[in-house]
Amino acid sequence: MIELFDVTKRFGTETAVDAISLRVEKGEFCALVGTSGCGKSTTLRMINRLIEHSEGEIHLDGQPVRSFNEELLRRRIGYVIQNTGLFPHWTVARNIGLVPRLLKWPRGQVRERTEELLELLGLPREEFADKYPHQLSGGQAQRVGVARALAADPEILLMDEPFGALDPITRETLQRELQDLQARLNKTVVFVTHDMDEALALADRLVVMHQGRIIQQGRPIDLLHDPVDAFVESLLGGMDRGLKEAALTRVSERMAPFGPRLLASERIPYRAPLSQALSVMLWHRVERLTVVDDEDIPIGELSLRRLLGAKPS
Amino acid sequence: MSESELLVETRGQVGRGVAQWRHWGVPLIWLTLLLLLTFGMAQLEALFRLIEPDTRQVLYHRSSLAALLGQHVFVVAVASALAILLGGSAAIAVTRPAGRDFLPLVAQLASIGQTFPPVAVLALAVPALGFGTLPIIVALLLYGLLPIVRNTLAGLSGIDPGVHEAARGMGMTGGQILRQVELPLAAPVILAGIRTSVTINIATAAIGATVGASNLGDPIISGIVNGNTAYIVQGALLIGLLAITVDSTFERLLRRPTSR
Repeated sequence: MIELFDVTKRFGTETAVDAISLRVEKGEFCALVGTSGCGKSTTLRMINRLIEHSEGEIHLDGQPVRSFNEELLRRRIGYVIQNTGLFPHWTVARNIGLVPRLLKWPRGQVRERTEELLELLGLPREEFADKYPHQLSGGQAQRVGVARALAADPEILLMDEPFGALDPITRETLQRELQDLQARLNKTVVFVTHDMDEALALADRLVVMHQGRIIQQGRPIDLLHDPVDAFVESLLGGMDRGLKEAALTRVSERMAPFGPRLLASERIPYRAPLSQALSVMLWHRVERLTVVDDEDIPIGELSLRRLLGAKPS
Repeated sequence: MSESELLVETRGQVGRGVAQWRHWGVPLIWLTLLLLLTFGMAQLEALFRLIEPDTRQVLYHRSSLAALLGQHVFVVAVASALAILLGGSAAIAVTRPAGRDFLPLVAQLASIGQTFPPVAVLALAVPALGFGTLPIIVALLLYGLLPIVRNTLAGLSGIDPGVHEAARGMGMTGGQILRQVELPLAAPVILAGIRTSVTINIATAAIGATVGASNLGDPIISGIVNGNTAYIVQGALLIGLLAITVDSTFERLLRRPTSR
């Protein structure tokens, strides 16, 4: 659990972060979003003390971060940055084993853990363990970056725009992988991004920052329905909010059992978001879709009327 | 391990050994040439007669060339070791958070050291330190500092800030970052600076002969004074070969990290 109490950071006379309070529960995925220079990265880096806060208190599991030794604190917290920061003169395996080695794990255990993580992130050991970072693609390098952050099995993971430098397709793949990973590992994650779609897709809790302050926080769906002001509304996509909300809802939540009519010819997987179902309807100019499961077997249907649904009150 | 695997393994090692031998070949050729000339200069007496047909003595004889070479190497080695120690640690100190304020000062001081002609340093050092080997070591030290300081600074500051950030974020201490990340990454650039410094100093050390430090500059100075071109050629030849030997050794060292 991470708690921030009235935390302020000043650089000279400039106030980068202005008396923010925030609580991230254990196992929660919290996304800090906002325009550049809003203080979200600074906030993140104050948690592992790469930047020292000027006022207020930051607690990890009830203990102020200042009460820990800096280096020991950071070894307990996973950290992933945008351009990976992999050490170019070390192999992938050595990069991943960094924190366990700093923690003086026995050599065999470090090797075991490294192999486990390569496996976990879908990088076959035989192929990748002895490669150097410059031999990796952007997506592979960031996977290694995530593996390195997870190496010593930290409870907390800080991610500073980890997918910001990747192409859209790779980014989406990695976002999905991170979701799966989080479902299995259940870390406490603080994730900084300026990409609202990314934040909406990944976060349990969305924290919108502007000029060093938190303007609104809550579940993504709540923010979409009830933005506190015009800035949050525009950040959330303005008129496109309907589509963003549809992107957060799965077809399975709106589908109906088969009606008396024939099966519709167009199909949609039950796990797909509503926005995708809408897109299929628009494309084929149909009002009804057949919902299929992972094996492409029809399990229900989705009509345009049901897709639009009643707005939850 | 099966027999065939063993065979492959051994062959691999032999192959690597041969490859390494070949890589070191160039510096070794120059070294052999240098030693051959040092000990066998007398064999070339006929050649030097052609240069100086009217002089009775064409081979430098006041002391053995081997002793002069040893002196030369010693002076350069001491001066360079001190310059590396001093310049390297100064450059490292001013790139630490605590010493960053002194960065411009150190960079400028090193530049001033380079603009001072070594002869002028010698002229200033002799009254203070007397004649002999010490003033030339001081002059070479000052003269050799700049390339080392400049390259160490460039190497350290040329490291990707992301790498530095990650190293800190992972919980490495300052010393661990320096030893495991910064120095290995900056090593090629630092080594290039040392190479420049040492090579320049090998040439510059010769002027030490003017203040009584005996080294390979002796035959040259003596040749100039007595109008004996053969002496000058002998001294210059050996200094040149020494410089090339050392330079090609550094080139070899520099190529190693990238050829992995």
